[in-house]
Amino acid sequence: MGIDLATPGGATLALLPELLLTAWALVVLLVVAWRHRTAADTRFVGLLSLFGYLLAVVATGWLAWRGARADGLPQMIALDGFRFASDALLLWIGGAIAVLSLRWLERQGILAPEYYVLLMLATVGMMLLAGAADLITVFLGLEVMSISVYVLAGYDRTRRSSAEASLKYFLLGAFASGFLLYGIALIYGATGQFNFALIGAQLSATPPTLMAKFGMGLLLIGFGFKVAAVPFHAWAPDVYEGSPTPVTAFMASGVKAAAFLALARLLAEAFPAYVLLWRPIIAVLAVATILVGNLTALAQTSMKRMLAYSAVAHAGYLMLALWAHSDEGTAAVLVYLLAYSITTVAAFGILASIERAGARTVLLTDLEGLFSVRPFASLGLAVCMLSLLGFPGTFGFIGKWYLISATLGQGEAFLPIVAMIGSGISIGYYLPVILAMTLKPTRTRSAHTTIRFPIPAKIAVAICVAAILVFGLLPNIPLNFATQEAVHLRQTAMPTGPR
Amino acid sequence: MTQFLASIGYEHWILHVLLLLPLLAIPLILVFPVHSARWIALTVALTELGLGLGLWWAFDSNNPGMQFVTDAAWLPQFGIGYRIGIDGISVLMVLLSVVMMPLVVWGSWRGIDQKQRGFYSLLLALKTGMLGVFISTDLFLFYTFWELLLIPMYFLIGIWGSSNRLYAATKFVIYTFVGSLLMLVAIVWMVWTVGKATGVYSFAYAHLLEHAESMAPWGGWLFVAFALAFAVKVPLFPFHTWLPDAHTEAPTAGSVDLAVILLKMGTYGFLRFAIPFFPAFALSKTTGLVMASLAVIGIVYAALVAMVQPDLKRLVAYSSVSHLGFVMLGIWGSTVESVQGAILVMVSHGLSTGALFFIIGMLYERRHTRKIADFGGLARVAPLMATAFTITAFSSIGLPGLNGFIGEFLVLIGSFGRYPWLVAAAATVVVFSAAYMLWSTQRVFFNRFTNPLNEGIGDLNFREIAVMAPLIIAMLWIGLYPKPLLHRTEAAARRYIELIQPHLPPASLPGISTSGMKP
Repeated sequence: MGIDLATPGGATLALLPELLLTAWALVVLLVVAWRHRTAADTRFVGLLSLFGYLLAVVATGWLAWRGARADGLPQMIALDGFRFASDALLLWIGGAIAVLSLRWLERQGILAPEYYVLLMLATVGMMLLAGAADLITVFLGLEVMSISVYVLAGYDRTRRSSAEASLKYFLLGAFASGFLLYGIALIYGATGQFNFALIGAQLSATPPTLMAKFGMGLLLIGFGFKVAAVPFHAWAPDVYEGSPTPVTAFMASGVKAAAFLALARLLAEAFPAYVLLWRPIIAVLAVATILVGNLTALAQTSMKRMLAYSAVAHAGYLMLALWAHSDEGTAAVLVYLLAYSITTVAAFGILASIERAGARTVLLTDLEGLFSVRPFASLGLAVCMLSLLGFPGTFGFIGKWYLISATLGQGEAFLPIVAMIGSGISIGYYLPVILAMTLKPTRTRSAHTTIRFPIPAKIAVAICVAAILVFGLLPNIPLNFATQEAVHLRQTAMPTGPR
Repeated sequence: MTQFLASIGYEHWILHVLLLLPLLAIPLILVFPVHSARWIALTVALTELGLGLGLWWAFDSNNPGMQFVTDAAWLPQFGIGYRIGIDGISVLMVLLSVVMMPLVVWGSWRGIDQKQRGFYSLLLALKTGMLGVFISTDLFLFYTFWELLLIPMYFLIGIWGSSNRLYAATKFVIYTFVGSLLMLVAIVWMVWTVGKATGVYSFAYAHLLEHAESMAPWGGWLFVAFALAFAVKVPLFPFHTWLPDAHTEAPTAGSVDLAVILLKMGTYGFLRFAIPFFPAFALSKTTGLVMASLAVIGIVYAALVAMVQPDLKRLVAYSSVSHLGFVMLGIWGSTVESVQGAILVMVSHGLSTGALFFIIGMLYERRHTRKIADFGGLARVAPLMATAFTITAFSSIGLPGLNGFIGEFLVLIGSFGRYPWLVAAAATVVVFSAAYMLWSTQRVFFNRFTNPLNEGIGDLNFREIAVMAPLIIAMLWIGLYPKPLLHRTEAAARRYIELIQPHLPPASLPGISTSGMKP
């Protein structure tokens, strides 16, 4: 199905999932204005928001099923399998976070149904960012996403650490936006284009200019902040720890995924001509991110902080997949992101359920003896840890193997070895979690018996854990899909010239 | 027998059933009441034993290649398959696994009195992992089983182990996991290299081996990556420190499985992967000398350390390190005799060390201590146990007529031409091993009966005799008539030597060739 993005009708059709979700968010906002006092209201709005996600999923599925493609170059927003895959992933993350929040907000006494509206708007921003075919859309998506998440991070407003998280994220995020915007301006100055494909064609047709190089560098810094790559990661642990737990899950999976998907597209479509320039930068960032992330995670006692640093390390692994700059590498970004975000959502989902009302965070010692009281929750968390570790039999292993394969396919052995050394370090903080839950005796038995694991959260987590195990043994579907979409993406990346 | 097996299509299903049956039985254990867990485990173990023994007849000893081969698609687009098969080297390992399995279940019958469901489920999962390692002929599948094994072992040590179990379990996992990390990079790198040279990207063992020469430029790096993973598992000196801890803290079943099967995975890996893939580097004069020296240092050093151990289990654990050194020496001896000797040491070390751990476990169940000093003169109250222990100790020392002798003798004879000085040094260990084994036997069973607490120790009961008898019979059988075993490994060992022959540097003493020599 060809869609002409230059016409208003075509643009509407191409943006259907985003528009539907936005429209529904506005409808929900009206409902919120009218019902916003009790816990039941909050829950009701949460359920309403799920319907919005459903609408957007249906729209995405419809576009993908019809094989929607742009007539001519995609303007503004991409129309290909890679975008539909990204949308599906992000919508799924958003929906899962909404489900995980349903009871959690109540338990923590946060009764403000606007939460779900912000969640939906943040998801819209992520989808725009991940699907952007144009630098302006990148910025638009990034800001819609970021501003919503700034507020979400500070949502537990009576708590000091939450306010601090919000402020920190906002200040650093503003910096990042500045870098990004400056980079966009320089690229526009150098090429006269905003569209990825046209920039790519322009850059490959002319000799490299200083302005374009600087522009690309600033873009990379902007994205480095958003994905928490070393040395732009310092905000992440405080923000992750201070935010409400479901929001932390949202940031660690959704924000990271959207930024990486956008970066993958940007590098593949706009800067293939500068590959020799950005590859070393990405390699250095990746090595630093893997080592620093893993080493600092070793020293954490708070689970959220530990997962925050591990998220930093995973950003490093993902950068290796970007580095490969091949069909396999782009597919590896998709597969790894899928594996990582499923696992992150499940892990934080379990943590959120273990967290007691009013507790600041879950410490490693709080998990001791959990298995004897909550066997399924602790088995689920153990599976998540093994998947993050990259243990065979889990989806995380498939992701890790695939990205190693992608990097080795480019004839590079040093980077995968660094990745494996990082994995070797990471066993030092993933294993203690399993150890504490299963092998250590319970310290305070009463602490665990008060845990209430709400049914919707149970279902969401169970689906994730099942997916980790099933895709770990039978990864054919995600692997084939990712390979196919990566090839599509890279076909658009080779335009014959400016049209 | 052979015809009967052929008539039921044995070769088509036997390996799948052996591999998957333990795994499929786990849900049964979880569903049925707790007290039936051990019965289910025993039934599975006996079924596996019955099925696995069929391999003894069905296996064609004259065929040096892979038998019972299956090659099914798993991730075909990446050249990954569910590929399994066995040859003369792995068949003995598979047999050893199935033979030990009912004994392990029996040996845990009374010692494990809590969380039985978990225990027997993990034991079965462990079995699937072990068999998987030995029968995989696809490197992706192999790596998966190799790593998956860690989880059941981790929990077996960590939950049912003795006082210092958390430390030992963690150390075990960290050592072996970190050791194997680079192996994954090496495997993928091999697939890419061979794929670029031949146009076929495949994790199949046969395919990679056939085009091994295209990996030659990176042979050194790849060998190091593999060797690290295997050396930790063996354990080769100086990577051995996890073993005494893991052995000592593990429950009897865990110790036995570790000693009998897990340690063999490392030496098996060298024979199957590390050397045949990169023979030019692995068998070069320098590498050979380094590896053989490490093996001999391990043999002597561990024997010396074993002598001063106050704890029986720790003593046996160090003796394991020493015996595994013989296997490594035999592998690097690179003659048909030394390789066959290495394989035989793998089997007989399994039998004797397994038996020793069983008896120590029985003592521990009775007295809740493993300190040598707490015993003394037990032969008076437990004559059967003393007899069993003494025979096993003799077999472990390598007394002629028992199993330990044949393998070590073949290793020493077969390696002498290449490393005369090292072999001479290794041979001295016979004295040390006699010293530590006999001295401990004497102090536990034959000195004066001093500790009145030992009065109540009963002799072996029927179940315990059932555990020990097959092991002792096997020791005698291999010691007196090893031919059937050697016959099954010979073709594979010959093929292996033919494969690596072009890469072997000349032996130091070419005059002493042992070909044709048979004990």
